[in-house]
Amino acid sequence: MGFKVSVDGRSHDIEIVSRRPHLIVRIEGRDHEVSAAGTLDDGRQTIEISGALLHFTRAHAGDRQIVRLNGRTFETGILDPRSQAAGAGGGLDHVRAPMPGCVVCVHKRPGDQVARGETLVTIESMKLQTALLAPRDGRIAELLRQTGENFEKDEVIVRLEAAMDGD
Amino acid sequence: MRRIQSMVSTSSADFRCNEAHNRALARAFREKQEAARHLRPQRDLERLAKQGKMRPRERIEKLLDPGTPFLELSSLAANMAYGGESPSASSIVGIGVVSGREVIVRADDPTIKGGAWYPLTAKKIVRALDIAMENRLPVVHLCDSAGGFLPLQSDVFPDRHMAGRIFRNQSILSKMGVKQLALVFGHCTAGGAYIPGLSDYNVIVRGTGAVFLGGPPLVRAATGEDVTVEELGGADMHTSVSGTCDYPASSEDEAIHIGREIVAQWDRPRKWDCQREAPEDPAYDPQEIYGILPDDIKKQFDMREIIARIVDGSRFHEYQPNYGGTLVCGFANIWGFKVGVLANNGVLFNDSSLKGAHFIELCNQNNTPLVFLQNITGYMIGREYERRGITKDGAKMIMAQSCSHVPKFTIMCNGSFGAGNYGMCGRAFDGRLLLTWPNHQIGVMGGDQAANTLTEVKLNQMKRIGAEIDQGELDRVWEETRKAYQEQLSAYYSTSELWDDGIIDPVDTRNALGIAISASLNAPPGEAGYGVFRF
Amino acid sequence: MTTRVDPNKAAKSPLAIPFRKVLVANRGEIACRIIRTLRELGIASVAIHHLAEVRARHARMADEAVEIFGDTPVAAHLDGEQIIEAARKSGADAIHPGYGFLSENARFAAAVAAAGLTFIGPDARTIELMGDKISARNFAQAHGVPVAPSVMPTGDMAAFIAAAETIGFPILIKAAAGGGGKGMSIVRSASELAEAARIASSEAQRYFGDGRVYAELYVERPRHVEVQILGDGEGAAIHLFERECSVQRRFQKIIEEAPAANLSSDLRDRICQSAVRLAAAARYRNAGTVEFILGADGRYFFLEMNTRLQVEHPVTEMITGLDLVRIQIEIAAGHGLPLKQEEVAAFGHAIECRICAEDPARDFMPETGKIRYLGIPEASFIRFENALDTGQKITADFDSMLGKLVVHGADRLEAISRSIAALHELAVLGVRTNIDYLAKALDYVAFRQGELHTGFVDEHSAALAPGEADAATRDAVLIAAALGFREFRDVAFGVPEPHATIGRWRN
Repeated sequence: MGFKVSVDGRSHDIEIVSRRPHLIVRIEGRDHEVSAAGTLDDGRQTIEISGALLHFTRAHAGDRQIVRLNGRTFETGILDPRSQAAGAGGGLDHVRAPMPGCVVCVHKRPGDQVARGETLVTIESMKLQTALLAPRDGRIAELLRQTGENFEKDEVIVRLEAAMDGD
Repeated sequence: MRRIQSMVSTSSADFRCNEAHNRALARAFREKQEAARHLRPQRDLERLAKQGKMRPRERIEKLLDPGTPFLELSSLAANMAYGGESPSASSIVGIGVVSGREVIVRADDPTIKGGAWYPLTAKKIVRALDIAMENRLPVVHLCDSAGGFLPLQSDVFPDRHMAGRIFRNQSILSKMGVKQLALVFGHCTAGGAYIPGLSDYNVIVRGTGAVFLGGPPLVRAATGEDVTVEELGGADMHTSVSGTCDYPASSEDEAIHIGREIVAQWDRPRKWDCQREAPEDPAYDPQEIYGILPDDIKKQFDMREIIARIVDGSRFHEYQPNYGGTLVCGFANIWGFKVGVLANNGVLFNDSSLKGAHFIELCNQNNTPLVFLQNITGYMIGREYERRGITKDGAKMIMAQSCSHVPKFTIMCNGSFGAGNYGMCGRAFDGRLLLTWPNHQIGVMGGDQAANTLTEVKLNQMKRIGAEIDQGELDRVWEETRKAYQEQLSAYYSTSELWDDGIIDPVDTRNALGIAISASLNAPPGEAGYGVFRF
Repeated sequence: MTTRVDPNKAAKSPLAIPFRKVLVANRGEIACRIIRTLRELGIASVAIHHLAEVRARHARMADEAVEIFGDTPVAAHLDGEQIIEAARKSGADAIHPGYGFLSENARFAAAVAAAGLTFIGPDARTIELMGDKISARNFAQAHGVPVAPSVMPTGDMAAFIAAAETIGFPILIKAAAGGGGKGMSIVRSASELAEAARIASSEAQRYFGDGRVYAELYVERPRHVEVQILGDGEGAAIHLFERECSVQRRFQKIIEEAPAANLSSDLRDRICQSAVRLAAAARYRNAGTVEFILGADGRYFFLEMNTRLQVEHPVTEMITGLDLVRIQIEIAAGHGLPLKQEEVAAFGHAIECRICAEDPARDFMPETGKIRYLGIPEASFIRFENALDTGQKITADFDSMLGKLVVHGADRLEAISRSIAALHELAVLGVRTNIDYLAKALDYVAFRQGELHTGFVDEHSAALAPGEADAATRDAVLIAAALGFREFRDVAFGVPEPHATIGRWRN
């Protein structure tokens, strides 16, 4: 089980091999002993790899981490294994009503390309208006309810076209 | 603590002979284990792959933290049962580390008859949960089973310690505050549905995972209702409608990662303090054990030589070194943990029984876990010893051992016969872990002895009815008895029946004990106290 | 700010400054720089800021901060009326315009004076004279300062183009009313001339409101050498030596040094004297810079005069030990020139690197981001002029310069190695910068040997490109990064004993 760390857009695998007497990691078949691991903090850091001290500076920026060493600055990230394993979000083809109500406004048409999080339909329920959002990037296959129509809880209101690999 | 000074000559003919013999036994064991773990009909592997499923051991490897050990238990369960149809009893159980926490991992093996539970499967799962309860170890279930193996249902279903015990244990574990996570990779049918049902957390894989008390065929037969697996018990239904399952996953990988994240939320246990120092490798090479164990069970050897190749730095503080020489007692460290070791150098006499009882009391007083290295043919018998009270003295040792509140671990190194098994913490005495070596034999008495005894009984019978002494008959009795015992004495038979928690290569003993002792410290010590010692 | 003790200055008593309060009509690092000197002189400071910069360093540093309004932050800083009103309301006696914005806006200077405030800089008429590139050029020529053959604009574009061709190619088309590289382009053949002139003219119209362009002989591989001058407004002027600013990208300076590299003392004298002659002839008051183009053959031509304090003034300060902002205030207070020419001495060498939020790999395109970590090297020979705070958002509101790293050394080579070390130590993480590029450029053999010209960046772009990191560096980055991710550390260090020591064992 390795970690996928990206450096300037390219993903690399880094595995933990052993921990004592020092952490040993493996990258593309090359083993490195990390005898001093620094801290998680931003700022100047010193670590020791295979007996050599490495000075670098790091800053966290949200999910990214900027690392500056040897006179170069790199942008890195770590792939969350859950989202990586979850893949393209297949199975998120149906947008269902969270509760019974009626459609206030349909914002899209079949065939429209939508982005994850985009509002597809506004519904009203218990005197509250809610937006039904696209669960993933995709294309609208069908809108099963029109403005003014009622629906029950869990009814499918919008159907997206089946996600293809790589979507 | 001083190091044990080894008296073994690694170049002697005896040593070389033993070594060849034991290495062959170890090799044979590993081959059997490999086959039980990995050999499967190609058809079953292909079916699994077509379903998009991983093999159970792959799932376990992804679940465990990288670079950490995994102590697998009872890898050869059911190896001499069911015509070999259920390798490892269709179940994988072990102690490993997930997200930095010690857990019991228990997995169904869908590559064997769809993961159906044989009687020994149920026994193995119950044992796994017993271990979880005794040591307060959280459990991760990797569920993928077709349910009970119907042809043998009477041995799987009805009795007290059969399948129902699994669910009872799950409930008690939960009551104890010991967490369980179930990852549903395949079908959890009928009773099997209760595993995720009774787990505190569960994750279900969309498309392949399903939980239902009755599958579609049963439903159709019972009520005529026609329903698909997904509709009846699939991930989306259970995670959004019934609430039976907590997290849907779109792949096995995702389910495992969710599982790891769940375990990462669990609070780290407060571990019981047992004296711990920096570990040290034994001063003598553990591989030398192969040359020390004799190739004949009747031959004697000094257990101190074995101790020296298991404990830290080979350091041993022997207790009462000059008294009760047939039982070696003393303190040592294993992976840094202070333990009290009791090891047999012959039969138990009065003095060695008393010494054993006293030493066990010292260890309980000191909160020191006990490690029993068994090589025992029994207690000494005979008039002189009975007059001296060998029965009482043996009883005192059994009393002290049974009532111990510290964790106990037993390694059966060579032989475990008769009452000696009892005093030295055999299966019935709730040791946290019991492991055997491939050369080990266990029975109420040895094969030869049994054959001799039964032949004598036959002879007496013939004499009593005044029949002619039929030597052929006597030989037959002798042969058959010996053969039957031979089969049932072996470590393989014992492990097949789950009379132990697994056969291990002797050189793996130190790591196994280190992991086991560490796991045992998750449970607080019991209440101190003993029954009545017959003095 | 390092103040080197000038033995001459120490003897004099501090000059009386009639300003009790000065409004700094600028922002960013220069505003901070000016406020620093005001503080040393005991003068109260007023900062102006747009709402977008309410928490900016210069606003926090000043004694008072006044919000100014405009559609964009830049527009607010160009609203002269508003700024003068802010000065009056706050009771400021004078306004220091910094550089850029309204610093060379003659109307603004005049309005400041008309409002009864002191404009810390030259007179409005001088600004106007030198602000028009064509009139400045004519003035220079009239006073014996060498100028490049050129053609001035007429209303007739066709005639202009025809005349331009007579200069000979290559030709530089420049905006009469502008600078900073806008409205400028190099034309190498007659066929490109018409289009280039048209584009330059429309760019100039857009940026400066004045579409007039002129054409000038383009010196190949020209060096940009400029001279810092001070004038007393009565016809006296001195120089504070020259600066070399040849390393540029998009016609903007990124590395400047004082003194110029590889300049014979004879040539230095002649160039500096030309500058002084110009300043004196213009009866220049306060600080200014005369810029020249220097060709490989030693011929130099007047480029333009900047009637303000320059971005790169710190390199002059570091080799002369003088505080130019202080001198500006003293001259504006009526104290004339601070030194006689023979009293001006230079020692050592100083280099300034302009740290900009840009991506050298993508043609120095400006970048935005947020400063996540700021690590500034400290030494007596280092100045990092900046207005940066950790957490500050770098937006497209203002130009991309984040700060100036100025380093002094006993000689040019020492200044170079100290600069490289300082650049390596300087960390501005969270937005792409040119820091690593600058370090590479300074270390490059052509720079070390002083083979400088304004095409330096283009000529060596391949050599200075970062290239692929080798496997060893990549591995180091991966490990450094992994150790900065919680997920990795949890798994790496969260395993208890004895399991961590036993490692990957299976029975």
